[in-house]
Amino acid sequence: MDTPLRSEAQRRADEIGIFQAELARLDAEGVLRLDAAQQQAVREHHAALLAGFAGRFDIDRDLQAKQLSLGMRVASFLGALALAASVFFLFYQFWGYFDETAQVAILLGAALGSMGLTVWIRTRDASGYFTKLAALVAFACFVLDLSMLGQIFNITPTDRALIPWAALAFLLAYACDLRLLLAAGICCVIAFVSARVGSWSGIYWLHAGERPENFFPVAALLFAFPALVAHRHLTGFASIYRVFGLLCLLVPMLVLGHWGYGSYLADYEGFATRTIEGGYELAGFVASALAIWLGARRQWPDTVNTGITFFVIFLYTKFFDWWWDVMPKYLFFLVLGLAAILILLVLKRLRRVGQAAGEGAR
Amino acid sequence: MKLTPWKTFAAGALLILLANAVALTGVYLNRSGEPDSRLTLSQRELTLPWGWGMAKENSGMALRLNWRIIDAGASAGEYFDGGFGFSGGTPEWLDTARMAALGFDTAALAEGNEGRRRFERQLPREIVLVLELAGPAWQQALERAQQNAARHEAARLANADSKEFAAKAKRAQELLKREETQNSRLFAIDAGLDRTALRAKYPDRSRFLILKATLRPRLVVRDKTTRATGYVTALAVTQINVPHALRPLLETAQGTRRRTADDAGPHFEATLAVGRRLEPWLESVPAAR
Repeated sequence: MDTPLRSEAQRRADEIGIFQAELARLDAEGVLRLDAAQQQAVREHHAALLAGFAGRFDIDRDLQAKQLSLGMRVASFLGALALAASVFFLFYQFWGYFDETAQVAILLGAALGSMGLTVWIRTRDASGYFTKLAALVAFACFVLDLSMLGQIFNITPTDRALIPWAALAFLLAYACDLRLLLAAGICCVIAFVSARVGSWSGIYWLHAGERPENFFPVAALLFAFPALVAHRHLTGFASIYRVFGLLCLLVPMLVLGHWGYGSYLADYEGFATRTIEGGYELAGFVASALAIWLGARRQWPDTVNTGITFFVIFLYTKFFDWWWDVMPKYLFFLVLGLAAILILLVLKRLRRVGQAAGEGAR
Repeated sequence: MKLTPWKTFAAGALLILLANAVALTGVYLNRSGEPDSRLTLSQRELTLPWGWGMAKENSGMALRLNWRIIDAGASAGEYFDGGFGFSGGTPEWLDTARMAALGFDTAALAEGNEGRRRFERQLPREIVLVLELAGPAWQQALERAQQNAARHEAARLANADSKEFAAKAKRAQELLKREETQNSRLFAIDAGLDRTALRAKYPDRSRFLILKATLRPRLVVRDKTTRATGYVTALAVTQINVPHALRPLLETAQGTRRRTADDAGPHFEATLAVGRRLEPWLESVPAAR
């Protein structure tokens, strides 16, 4: 499969750029000097590689191209959202003028047509930006298709609709190397699994979110998934799974840390609301600290950053609970600032330990 | 497995077709055979869309099923004007035993305040709701409105100089008129989990509508006594799409919107059918003006 190799090609191109810069520096400092033939061979090899990558994948070959790419990514993301909304409102504007057969045919045709268009664009769009636009429109068309069938024929809303939506999002994400569609698919999986977990205890599926613990099983599933299935060729996919997994764990903990009444534990005697909140606050600190430790150990920056973010949120909300009312505001913010410095020092130490361990291993 | 463009398209198309086929098969199964119920409703029970805000850009048309409940919060004999555009509530007939039968844990209620708190924090469950058209429940609402009007009229006569009593009596008369001519006659009268048992209990398919709904536990305090009951939050299908073929008839009715309280407003009758999967659809519109 050629498609997912774009991210690999970009990484290789970046590494070539770094190598060339370092080689020039070593040459200037007199540490390493390749002879003319070697320099020529390396230059030609890299030029051929980059030309090949640029031809096939439209990669960024220098810093300026990279900066422009970021803008293009933002534009394609916003454009994709706007086009998806446009499809939705276009159908709403005119669907009433057609009979039911035509409505179904239009919905089905739009879903199939946009799917076909995405695949066709993918074969011609080396940059991937237009593919992203088309893929999100295809996903929106399919969501619109099933939800409008429900509206046209008065079908009882069901969480089972999330399964085909997730399946299509994953198909487009893996086939076209699209992280946006992967996130859409993961959101569908989160909604489905949490709804199912809630319905085991008899809750109507649309209310599953009112018990934040319903998200814990899907958190474990998402976090473990990239460890079970390798995503070597798909840059960023494993990170997205891990970040969503952590969000499904830490956001409910944050909520339950302040709303113990929403916990399943509140059904049992001996679990006062305040006790539950205290337990989840502690669990939030432990879980985010574990995420930082595991991320640093496995070299998962996404996990470290998510862990740090939540650790700071848990810490600051705790400070707010304790001291906002009793402290003068200058002192309160001073404590926050000092806490941030303390976190920086701890992380700096953690980084040094990690580097030392890495060097030791080499 | 290598995902070539052709394989990607084939997998996606198969998925789309399969999902559509499953949804449409469900529709076919729901509508095949004799409907579970078939009722002729009027504009009193089916509300036309208002067409405000974002709805202006929606070319489709859907009717909202307007149903009522004789509320457990209302005192005996008190007229509760919950009939116009109101759906959902705490039925009088929903007692602790029935809540237990519907799957809610009522054992904790005996444990005092803590137990009651635990009862009320249970989340909504899906139930099967029985709605009756123009039956004893509606008669009860009508009688309450008549008693309410008579009580306020008597108070007005006893206080002939009071503008306040006169205004209340006028309002009570308006409510009675509304109850007689405008308010929905469709009342939720029972609930269960076994639709077959409910249908056996209410066999008249042209009078009793059985639909899926959601119920949330609730505590009602009346006369210093706390009662465990439930709040029927919503029907599973809240809006009924108007098929394209029936739209012209209802658009005529929609055009004659009520401008004042005395204005008769739109009038139509529509046959609503409910299929095997308890999903409704509009079968016909026998009358509309």
